[in-house]
Amino acid sequence: MEVLKEKVEEEEEAEREEAAERGEKVMRPVEMRREEPPMTQEMLRDLEKKLSEIEIVIPEQPSIITRDTFDISKLPLSYQSNTLKEEHLLQVADNFARQYSHLCPDRVPLFLHPLNECEVPKFVSTTIRPTLMPYPELYNWDSCAQFVSDFLSMVPLPDPLQPPSHLYSSTTVLKHQKGNCFDFSTLLCSLLIGAGYDAYCINGYGSRDLCQMDLTRDVCPLTMKHKEVVQEEEKVPPKKYAIKPPRDLSSRFEQEQEMKKQQEIKAEEEKRRKEEEQRLLEVEKAKIDPLHGLRVHAWVLVLSGKREVPESFFIDPFTGRSYSTQHDHFLGIESLWNHKNYWVNMQDCWNGCKDLVFDLGDPVRWEYLLLGTDKAHLSMAEDEEDGMNDDEDVENLGKEDEDKSFDMPSSWVEKIEISPEVFETRCPNGKKVIQYKRAKLEKWAPYLNSNGLVCRLTTYEDLECTKTLEIKEWYQNREDMLELKHINKSTGLNIDYFKPGHPQALRVHSYKSMQPEMDRVMEFYETARVDGLIKREETPKTMTEYYQGRTDFLSYRHVDFGERVKKLALNSAESNPRPMVKITERFSRNPEKPADEDVAERVFLIPEERIRLCYHCWDDRITASKREFLRHTEVDSKGNKIIMTPDMCIGFEVEPMEHTKKLLYQYEAMMKLKNEEKLSRHQAWESELEVLEILKLREEEEEVHTLTISIYDAKRNEKSKEYREAMERVMHEEHLRQVEAQLDYLAPFLAQLPPGEKLTRWQAMRVKDECLSDFKQRLIDKANLIQARFEKETQELQKKQQWYQENQVTLTAEVEDWYLSYCSQAMFRIRILEQRLHRHKELAPLKYLALEEKLHKDPRLVEFLKVFV
Amino acid sequence: MQRLYDSVEPRVMDEHMLKLAVEEQGPQEEAGPLARQEGILFKDVLSLRLDFQNILHIDSLWQFENLRKLQLDNNIIEKIEGLEHLVHLVWLDLSFNNIEAIEGLDTLVNLEDLSLFNNRISKIDSLDALVKLQVLSLGNNQIGNMMNIIYLRRFKALRTLSLSGNPIAESEDYKMFICAYLPDLGYLDFRRIDDHMKDLARSKHQYSIDGLKQQEHLTQARLDDERARQEELKKHKVAFVEHLNGSFLFDSMYAEDVEGNKLAYLPGVGELLQAYKDKFVIICLNIFEYGLKQQEKRKLELDTFNECIQEAIQENQEQGKRRIAKFEEKHLLSLNAIREQSNLTNIEIKIVEYGEDITELFNVLMTLEMHLVEQLEETINMFERNITDLVALFIENVQSLMAQCRDLENHHHEKLLEISINTLERIVKGELNEDLPDDVRALFVDKDTIVNAVGASHDIHLLKIDNREDELVTRTNSWCTHLVDTIHKDEIMRNRRRVKEINQYIDHMQNELDNLECSDVID
Repeated sequence: MEVLKEKVEEEEEAEREEAAERGEKVMRPVEMRREEPPMTQEMLRDLEKKLSEIEIVIPEQPSIITRDTFDISKLPLSYQSNTLKEEHLLQVADNFARQYSHLCPDRVPLFLHPLNECEVPKFVSTTIRPTLMPYPELYNWDSCAQFVSDFLSMVPLPDPLQPPSHLYSSTTVLKHQKGNCFDFSTLLCSLLIGAGYDAYCINGYGSRDLCQMDLTRDVCPLTMKHKEVVQEEEKVPPKKYAIKPPRDLSSRFEQEQEMKKQQEIKAEEEKRRKEEEQRLLEVEKAKIDPLHGLRVHAWVLVLSGKREVPESFFIDPFTGRSYSTQHDHFLGIESLWNHKNYWVNMQDCWNGCKDLVFDLGDPVRWEYLLLGTDKAHLSMAEDEEDGMNDDEDVENLGKEDEDKSFDMPSSWVEKIEISPEVFETRCPNGKKVIQYKRAKLEKWAPYLNSNGLVCRLTTYEDLECTKTLEIKEWYQNREDMLELKHINKSTGLNIDYFKPGHPQALRVHSYKSMQPEMDRVMEFYETARVDGLIKREETPKTMTEYYQGRTDFLSYRHVDFGERVKKLALNSAESNPRPMVKITERFSRNPEKPADEDVAERVFLIPEERIRLCYHCWDDRITASKREFLRHTEVDSKGNKIIMTPDMCIGFEVEPMEHTKKLLYQYEAMMKLKNEEKLSRHQAWESELEVLEILKLREEEEEVHTLTISIYDAKRNEKSKEYREAMERVMHEEHLRQVEAQLDYLAPFLAQLPPGEKLTRWQAMRVKDECLSDFKQRLIDKANLIQARFEKETQELQKKQQWYQENQVTLTAEVEDWYLSYCSQAMFRIRILEQRLHRHKELAPLKYLALEEKLHKDPRLVEFLKVFV
Repeated sequence: MQRLYDSVEPRVMDEHMLKLAVEEQGPQEEAGPLARQEGILFKDVLSLRLDFQNILHIDSLWQFENLRKLQLDNNIIEKIEGLEHLVHLVWLDLSFNNIEAIEGLDTLVNLEDLSLFNNRISKIDSLDALVKLQVLSLGNNQIGNMMNIIYLRRFKALRTLSLSGNPIAESEDYKMFICAYLPDLGYLDFRRIDDHMKDLARSKHQYSIDGLKQQEHLTQARLDDERARQEELKKHKVAFVEHLNGSFLFDSMYAEDVEGNKLAYLPGVGELLQAYKDKFVIICLNIFEYGLKQQEKRKLELDTFNECIQEAIQENQEQGKRRIAKFEEKHLLSLNAIREQSNLTNIEIKIVEYGEDITELFNVLMTLEMHLVEQLEETINMFERNITDLVALFIENVQSLMAQCRDLENHHHEKLLEISINTLERIVKGELNEDLPDDVRALFVDKDTIVNAVGASHDIHLLKIDNREDELVTRTNSWCTHLVDTIHKDEIMRNRRRVKEINQYIDHMQNELDNLECSDVID
């Protein structure tokens, strides 16, 4: 030890210089702000002081969890005191801190053992309580971090430049749902380590946005568009017999010139766009933070290796987002710890965290507190040769008087518990609002809003969030299966998205107004519909429907409507549908029919009484057959109806056939078409009706917005609750009945006899007779009782009646009413009593016989009575 | 049952009767006069009813090519005939006639419903062709043998059968027997067969049915085997190397070779022959495998070619279709414009414009087609070269392998000759003490005889080898020429068809335009 101290002293000089340099580098961001020649320690301190004075501008928020908000006496003993081992650890830590401040005097004191809620110093590592939660959602880091960020509401540090003086246990933090970054990190770290991740809490420096949980300069992750992965189409190697393209006879020079021109235009555009972007960026850029690089923050590091994490990354516990370890927001690390050990960063942070190497086994870069508890020295080999001697100075500090086998005491914190109700509610009071750049995100717990709203994202046009651009609302557990509502304020377009299961199989509904006969698009789950409708588009004058998988191969129907004919006022709008002008129907190829009998397109021109057919094309043809029918009937000179003339059907046939020339064939075809026209019109009309129906249904659903409750949700499902309670009641009654059934009707009589003796026959007889007579007496008593009540009631009624008759004249209406109601009640009582008496009379002999039979069968009496009988 | 036909003259099925029937059963109401005006062709008729006509002979039905349903019930037909041409027939009713035997139905492969109720049939047969038969009504006939039922097992689609009123229906076991032997039957004598009945029947006739099934199964397996073998052979034939995957050629060499077989008795020839055979078979196998491989190669080549050609044509068609679609769009518009125009000069201008459009379309389509023809020709020529080369290579290699065979034969011949002469010498010296059959010994009278005999054997062998080689080469070459011819012909046909199509379309368009002009002039 002596030697070591000497060595320390020897190298103190050099060390100090080095440290100064390092300190300077740690504070580099500060320097970046002001271009000044290298600063001395004093200057830095002055600066710091000055800055801390400026800092007063930021309103000091007192720690909201004050001591009197909770009762520390209810906390377990481990919270209120330290065990011997913990005491020992604290001593070790103190020693470590002393040596550290001695060796690196320019660095800030370590964050080692803050006070807990009971004002007891606790080592930070023991505050981490690895716990695996029973919720599958918390098994992965992303959802876990999201949970922590949602669950707790953020409280800024009392002093943004210093680590807090207190670090509460996760139990308290969870109870209050409030905490600073250290509380957040500790909780998240506990959960992550519990879930098997290699996670660490970090005490370091972050940007202002990070420390104040300010996302207003971040783009909301929900608004970010997924970059479409452009799949490179596989170039098929030209086949051996691929035909050669026809010779290109255009001038290459002209093409080149054209290309050049195009490129110029493009470049111009690109430039303009870039400038625009630049300008926007300028506007958006944050004001320079005077405390840049000094703000203390705590976050979580997840190292690669465990749980198939391919690369180490940071998680900001406030937002639950992951960042790469090179991210700009993270400006430096003082120390990091998990539940087993504590490491101090010995690397330079002049460039934020970008150059840090997270190899905790490397003692040059990371100074550990406890020896050999964790982390094999991973890359010792490479460091061995270059830094054996300068290892000495820092590696061994604080470890000489430390028990080599000393390990971290187990956590003093109770197991983290989150009840399912609280877990489901998530955010404090079930609500959370996050402000992003040009966007606001609001979250609610399910079932909190009566219309099932769980999330709302509002996007704004400007940075000040005054002009709304669009609103997206997510819903859950809605009975009408509405999932997402997208309202575009600038175009006025609303788009509703539905999950499968809407009564009308609706999938997407986009509209500008709920009025019928306006622009709207409805998409459907075609498999849930009998008619295979996929999509229906409407404009004020047209309606287009797309179908799939129909047996009649219809794939498209387009209806053009004309002006509504004005009718008399007594006709309502519904009975006055718009006249259809044109119906176009398209069919996909029916492989069973020859192509020139398989209609591809059918157009009914209704006012012109014209029907146009277009057939499918043979596989080896380029022209398709066509046919046009004139539907109108004429009368010839003699007044006979002309049924069919050759000029009523004009057609072009790819392969002229004999039978199609015939009038009979054409006549039949036309008859069929007439029928089909009627059908199509009817279907179009039905579609219109359906639209109306859906709109009505939607309006009703919007108004009622009932929520569905899963049958597994025991808490909310009233029905199952009732059922369960009913079951419990039934069980209870059953139990009572069983108890009753076990009543021994002989017991009082047997008790009179000397106990333990066998019954004689005479005794048995007597017991039986007594029992029976007693029962008889009871029955009679009961009958008498009912009789007495009955008589009493009757008498009273008579009395009342008498009184009424006497005073009838003088009575007020009120009293009369009262009298009448009394009478009816009394009559009711009398009737019931009468019935009961009657019933009793009927049942009494039966009951008596039943008891007699029971007694005959009673095991205690049976042998005597048998002989008797 | 006493029929009334005794008192009525039988009628002849003639044109007049058929015409009457067709007209009577043809279109009704409004379409009736139309149909009468135009006349109905017999080949357009789908269903015909000729009941209660006292027909004795079925006749004159050959024109009804497309007939689906024919009713000839309640006549006095004695023989089923004249139905050969009605191949589309699905429904045939011959009930209440005097038919004695089932016959003349061999071409009616589509028949699904056959009624022969109330006839004089005593045996169910000659129905083999009716694979789609679903309903068979044979009630009130004279079928007396239960074994007729087994014949019906071959109709997999048969669901309804009626046999009541036959002598077999009297038998106690009738229902059970039918249910057991025809388990797929749904209705018997117009009553549904319930599952319980089927189970009962099955358990009752379990044993005999199992035997029958086994037999059927064996037959089926044999048939399958045969088919598989046929297919294999076909595949080999396509590769032109059938019967080369074994000792067929070698065996055939010795099949007609009397001397060769005799000489095999000589000492030492047996081993020689065996070695020869082994070597020969190996070469044959080489040829066989090489042939299969080459066949694969040719197939691949052909497939690629077809695919590419198809693609090219498809793309060209698409282009053509797009052109036409564009034109049609315009066409509709311009027709409407012309119709609406009232100014005569304007109309004329429009018409001229339209005419130009048509000509342009024609030119474009024809250019496209010409392009395609050129491109295809080039490709086809290339393919022709390649495939000819492939075939030539194949033939060359096979020939060289065949030459090896010939060498082997020559070698064998020399050895054999040597042995023969040695034997002769020994016989002459009387040293040979082994037994030789008399006819073999007869060869060894002098040197000429034996040399001739060996030579004859050798010649036969060579001839066989040559024949096989010739066959292979000829067939291969003819296949190649045929293939190339077909491709050329197909292409020419395609071209003709397309040109015709384009012309037809353009003519139609032009016609329409002309009509428009005419009507304008009239207006």
